[in-house]
Amino acid sequence: MVNDKESQKIVDIIQNFARQSSLFVLAYGTGCGAIEIPPTMTSRYDAERFGIRGAATPRQADVLLITGYLATKSLKRVIRAYEQMQNPKYIIGFGSCTINGGMYWDSYNTINRLDMYIPVDVYINGCMPRPEAVIAGFAKLQKLIQAGKADGWDRYQKNLEFYRGNQKKIIHNWVMPDYNW
Amino acid sequence: MDIWKLLLTGSVTTVLAFVVGMLYMGLRRKITARVQNRVGPPIYQNFLDVMKLWSKKSSINHGFMQHVAPLWMIATSITTLMFIPILNNGSTFFTNLTFEGDLIMLLYLMVVGSLGMALGAGQTGNPNSAIGVTRGLTQMVGFEIPWVMALVALMIQHRTTTVAGLLDVQVQSGTWLMLSSPFAFIAALLAIPGMFRYSPFDIVGAPAELASGPISEFGGKYLGTMMTNGAIFAFVKLTLFVDIFMGGASNLGFLLLKTFALYMFPVLWGLVSPRFRTEQAVRFFWGWPVFFGVLGLIQAAI
Amino acid sequence: MSNIIIILAIFGWAILTYIAFRLNKTLGNIFVGLIAVALPVYYFTYVPEDYSFQVMGLTLQFGFTSFSSLFAILVVILGALTLLYSIPYMNKKDRLGWFYLNFLFSIGGMLGILMSKDFVSLFIFWEIMTWSSYLIVIFSGKKVNKVGVKYMVYSAIGAYAMLMAIVLINKWSGTTNISHFFETFADYSNGAKILSSLLLLTAFAVKSALMPLHVWAPNAYTNSPMSYTSLFSGALSKMGIYGMALVAIMLYTNTGMKFFGEALAWLGAITAVLATFWAVFQTDIRKLLAYSSIGQLGYIAVGLGIGTELGVMAALFLALLHGLFKGILFMAAGAIEYRTGKTDFSELRGLIWKMPVTFFSALVAIIALAGMPPLSGLISKWLIYEALLSSEHYFLIILIFLSSTAAFLYCFHFLYGVFLGQREDDIEDVKEAPALMLVPMVLMSFGLLALGTFPGLIFKHISSSMSYLGFNDVTWEMSVLTNEWGNKIYLTHLNTMFMVVFAVFFVIITLVARKKTRRVGTKDIANAGEPILAEDNYHFSQDFYKPFWRVISPVMKYRIETFYNSFANGIGEFFQFFRRVYTGNGQTYALYVVIFLTILFIVGATLI
Repeated sequence: MVNDKESQKIVDIIQNFARQSSLFVLAYGTGCGAIEIPPTMTSRYDAERFGIRGAATPRQADVLLITGYLATKSLKRVIRAYEQMQNPKYIIGFGSCTINGGMYWDSYNTINRLDMYIPVDVYINGCMPRPEAVIAGFAKLQKLIQAGKADGWDRYQKNLEFYRGNQKKIIHNWVMPDYNW
Repeated sequence: MDIWKLLLTGSVTTVLAFVVGMLYMGLRRKITARVQNRVGPPIYQNFLDVMKLWSKKSSINHGFMQHVAPLWMIATSITTLMFIPILNNGSTFFTNLTFEGDLIMLLYLMVVGSLGMALGAGQTGNPNSAIGVTRGLTQMVGFEIPWVMALVALMIQHRTTTVAGLLDVQVQSGTWLMLSSPFAFIAALLAIPGMFRYSPFDIVGAPAELASGPISEFGGKYLGTMMTNGAIFAFVKLTLFVDIFMGGASNLGFLLLKTFALYMFPVLWGLVSPRFRTEQAVRFFWGWPVFFGVLGLIQAAI
Repeated sequence: MSNIIIILAIFGWAILTYIAFRLNKTLGNIFVGLIAVALPVYYFTYVPEDYSFQVMGLTLQFGFTSFSSLFAILVVILGALTLLYSIPYMNKKDRLGWFYLNFLFSIGGMLGILMSKDFVSLFIFWEIMTWSSYLIVIFSGKKVNKVGVKYMVYSAIGAYAMLMAIVLINKWSGTTNISHFFETFADYSNGAKILSSLLLLTAFAVKSALMPLHVWAPNAYTNSPMSYTSLFSGALSKMGIYGMALVAIMLYTNTGMKFFGEALAWLGAITAVLATFWAVFQTDIRKLLAYSSIGQLGYIAVGLGIGTELGVMAALFLALLHGLFKGILFMAAGAIEYRTGKTDFSELRGLIWKMPVTFFSALVAIIALAGMPPLSGLISKWLIYEALLSSEHYFLIILIFLSSTAAFLYCFHFLYGVFLGQREDDIEDVKEAPALMLVPMVLMSFGLLALGTFPGLIFKHISSSMSYLGFNDVTWEMSVLTNEWGNKIYLTHLNTMFMVVFAVFFVIITLVARKKTRRVGTKDIANAGEPILAEDNYHFSQDFYKPFWRVISPVMKYRIETFYNSFANGIGEFFQFFRRVYTGNGQTYALYVVIFLTILFIVGATLI
């Protein structure tokens, strides 16, 4: 038997390769950015050639794509969807709104920084980012996964109290089930 | 019955079915992409998908039935595979359990997986799953009728109920049954897209309407098992059909050629079809396919 | 003497049980338990012996034939298990003595029917069985009058048909001996053949709920207590099958009247299809099972009607099997009713968490009903299909296939609607059924499992009973099935293969990421990110097969019941008219007499 660590490393490389080359995307079409998803997926830019395809439910998905500003109401649904996904899972923040609020930075009902509430692995800058940028973002995510650095799901588990605290500040009528892993 | 030989040939057959099924599904994605003027994923993409699903670090289930549902399906597929002749040249390697079962048994064996799936989907508590299952079962009532009509016509005409017997008929006469019993063949062929649940009969797991229906609560290793099963079962269905109507195959090359040609029918049909509602699908199956099935029965009776 | 004594003992014990229940409930339950144990013990140890005596110029003869003892096994086993099941199930009800009196009388009546070697005693026991079952149908439940009247009217049609046949047979042959009738049947004139056999067939078809005489069945099965319905559908309806088998084989197949056999088979197939369609749309679990019973009895009629060796074998095998799996299913329905008090799909859900043993027994029964491997249902289905194939019934087999595919729909509906789906708080205090109710279900599911791989255990009895019907040397093997063209299936290989692959993958899927596999509640579902609140329930139970209904509703419009109802209304109005004649006024009657006399006088005058 080879060294346990060594063999684990090899397994990790293989598994990470599989993970990075097959990304099932749950596109959470919140803001105006949702309109960029169809061209990304269809024949003009064809994201499927990188193994990126849509998933119907959070249970099957790997990547949660937050496309644009997030109203406080939809934050609750995003959190729920994210918590239902299976580990390892990744989040891509899409557009300026998810980084600093973008043009909605002073709005009363949108959040400004997405990674205060859920761990974001990759941001895609722009208002709004073109499909090339989206694919570039996915490519960055793939690199991170291969390197084992896309560990948002791990951070979420470890810093659950921090995230929960922030979430509860925004969502007042908290009726969500507990995060169960 | 030599257990060890069965173990060896059975696992080789299963791996073959898995690889071929996976590649066909990859090809389907590639062809779909090319038709839509896209590049499409590499044809080995489905292997990566399954690998990823199996290497998920967590998975959830809602109870025992959901836990065993994928197994139920894959056990069905592999058992069915063992009873289907892969080659028609009498080679003993791919014999498996070919001579220990017959077509009626296979018809019933092939639906066991659906029951497991239905129960697993039912236990998740997701209403979409149950709705998907009811649609799937209703559609099954639709396509089974022309399919069985075709089989009954052949079985009575050639006085055998085994797949191996029907293969023998074709090997000895030198004509494929699709040529000597064209009506039965058309009826069965029209039922094939329903079996694959490809468009236009894909309302069972429509992603946009039902959130992928029965499998909407399955993720991680469960979904991985289901995709594995899907590949094996696709191969099972194609091989069974090729054995019955297209004279089987004398070597693996011919088998791949024939199954692929057959597989293109539901795939290409699906590419240019919108989606049927459930009752439209059943009415479709009980229309022309049944008409051809009746013609096939009449031909067999004469 | 020993033959008739078993029946007299049952009747006597029934009266004792009645008295015991009047004295003390516990004592009565002990009496019921005793006979439940004693019945199979006595039946399987005693030595059969014929017995006959003369009364009023008629010879009454008793004794099991090799054919009837097959059904007696079913009656004894199912009777004993349902009696055991009844003890906890009926515990909360009143008038238990009356219930068990009738229960035991119908068991005794059934055994009497199977024992009768002449038509008169057959008729007597038939009536005992009918009356006792009628009294249980109206024992409890809703709308007992309507249901009871329906059941009684149809039973009366059957009984009068049988009585007429007996009178005619006695007139023609001078004896009421059954085997004498079968032996001399070939010598009858064509009209006598058709008349007597059709009358007998009508009598038996009523009990086995063959179309168009099935109308009583759904309500009667639903209305009686579930413990009795298990026996009702499992064994009592098989008395109709018993008689139907005799008529179909001894009279039709063996004397060359194939046409009537074919007609019976088609009737059976149509029954199977339509009853299955109706079962799909039921919203009450008991009604669903009742319609399913009618459909299954239709299959049996098909097997008997085509009358080939495989067909009869299939019919007899399915008759026994149906007793087992429908027994389990009605018991499961009873267990659910006992624990939750509900039987409607809209009120039930998620019981798998609370009643796992009931669920797995019902699952085994459903798999057997649907005809899937690795259980014994496959064998009965396989035999029927092979029989139809080798006798070249091209279109009959399609009907049967349609019916058994549509049966998957209600099978799933039953399991999903009751046991699966989203869990709700209102089942939190539901408990698993009492042990005495579980034991019969579990025993019967083990029976189904064993028969799935080793049907030879039953084929042994079936082949010996088929020799009575004129099929000599029926070949059977322990776990290999062979059709007439020499095609075989090896059940051991099939089942072992399935189980081994299942077990291997079970280990794999359980071990992979074992520590990270979590079980979550049924409200933790992917619902577009919306958490499901405690007061919400998304269980899918309304309009379950709406698309299927849209497809087949053109056929379902025509119900035989509508015809019967309009017939009954017509009769009612007809006699309503007659009631106007009988005004109750003496002067009107005097007028009638005068008119009658005048007519008589005129007619008489012209004749003279």
